[in-house]
Amino acid sequence: MNKVARSVLLFALLTLTVSTGLPSAPAQSADMQYSVWLIESSRFMGVPAGAFMPDRAFVPGSSNKMNNKPFFDLPVNIGVIKGGRDIVLYDTGWKQQDYHKMTGTQHWAPIAQQLAQLGIKPEDVTKLVIGHGHWDHAGQLMDFPNAVLYVQKAELEGIEWALNYPNPHIRAVNTDPGGCARTPACGYPPLTLQEIYGKVLSGKAVIVDGEMEIAPGLIIHPAFRAHTAGSQLLEVHTAIGPLVFGSDSYSSWEGIRDWMIANPQQTDTVQQFLAYEKCYKITGGYEHCVAAHEPLSYSEGYPLTRNSWVGPNGSRAAEIVLAPGERSRKP
Amino acid sequence: MAQRDIAVPGIVGSSHRDLGGRPWHRWRRTIALGVVLLGLVGIVLAALAREALLPRSAVTVAVPPNPFAPPRPALTQAEEAYARGLWKIHDDVKLSAVRMTFAGLAYKAGEIDRRTLKARVDAARDVYARAEIRARALEPPPSLRRVHTDYLAAIRLYRQSAVEMAKLGADGREQHLLAAYPLSETASKKLLEVGDALWPGEYVPN
Repeated sequence: MNKVARSVLLFALLTLTVSTGLPSAPAQSADMQYSVWLIESSRFMGVPAGAFMPDRAFVPGSSNKMNNKPFFDLPVNIGVIKGGRDIVLYDTGWKQQDYHKMTGTQHWAPIAQQLAQLGIKPEDVTKLVIGHGHWDHAGQLMDFPNAVLYVQKAELEGIEWALNYPNPHIRAVNTDPGGCARTPACGYPPLTLQEIYGKVLSGKAVIVDGEMEIAPGLIIHPAFRAHTAGSQLLEVHTAIGPLVFGSDSYSSWEGIRDWMIANPQQTDTVQQFLAYEKCYKITGGYEHCVAAHEPLSYSEGYPLTRNSWVGPNGSRAAEIVLAPGERSRKP
Repeated sequence: MAQRDIAVPGIVGSSHRDLGGRPWHRWRRTIALGVVLLGLVGIVLAALAREALLPRSAVTVAVPPNPFAPPRPALTQAEEAYARGLWKIHDDVKLSAVRMTFAGLAYKAGEIDRRTLKARVDAARDVYARAEIRARALEPPPSLRRVHTDYLAAIRLYRQSAVEMAKLGADGREQHLLAAYPLSETASKKLLEVGDALWPGEYVPN
């Protein structure tokens, strides 16, 4: 075979490889459909409206529905995603025994009990994607011995930067006994970070740098500074189209719908809006954006989560979508 | 003087007219006072009418207590003083605990070598040693003796964890990190328990 013929053959082989190989990965992602549930780790009761959404601060006597509520009850939502060989949690809530009187909390129940109502055991969970590293979203990691943790590199870098900042008010984990006024290291107590470290130590952590497809049809998108330095979203392919989980970048679903920021902590509000836009782009609207603290969760007011029931200790759960062949878990 | 110069001549001329035996300028003062009084009464009446017409719900909104400070018996003066004294120590201990965790993370990520890890962990160990001395100098009231004992135990566990992690600097065996982990984990839980007793609201919803 002469040189020209070899080149032609090589080109043909390459063309064949490219034409058969490239489409197969997206097709696999597009074909994959997950079942999705939402469970309520706990509920923060009576949070001042303006502390949650500055534009919805309570105005006494106001008849404007944006300003006529003094307080919100905020669920702490965990996404449960099942498909293929994976059971994935998006956020992991927190463990009340460690913080039990601190938060004016009700309806907390052990995560094992909450998953049991879906027929899932903690050891069945294969992946944990934390939207960010705050204590109320990245707790109880060590309760999932077989699960691999996915956390953004930027999240860890953001915390470490704060810890080493010269000004003591800026580097403090808490600036005073009553809280920490949204300073950079606020919300990251030693135990939470210790558990993240524990996953790394046991070889069960992936430090993500930007976007990553962690399984067919499960895609992490960075949302840096949309709530914290290394916030991340999770796109999930389902039978009703893609859903996007946003943790506290999507604290309020009404906020996404009405373009209002929510729960500013280590937050660049422009980046939070861009994170909202990401959901609009991926899903074609705001209906399929899954919020972490939406007060309307588990009701008709937040239609995606209306197929709900009451579970352990009065916590709520919702069946959002089932993959073909998956049975309903709703009692 | 200047005002008088520019005043309308006809009016200035009338101020000297006698009315019922009293000079006009004295009547003018009485009338002005009456107008002012009537105005004030009008304002008060209008305000009362507005209050009466407002919907009751708009002025009687009950504001529940701050949810971040769950109701509990107030600390005594002695307890408050102890909590204030421990807070400054607690601040340093927390920061060092988290820095030590990040030293381990950085080592596992290959960002620092074992000598740097040892230097960082040794720095944390020194903070714990100083914190223990400072904490021992505090005198807890009888009601907080158990909290005090728990806090000292937490500091000791952190220090033991630091000593264990630092051994990696000498022999390079990562087994030391695994051995150190449960010590720090238990210490971190104790810190939360003490915080729960002394500083409710230390960690607010994030």
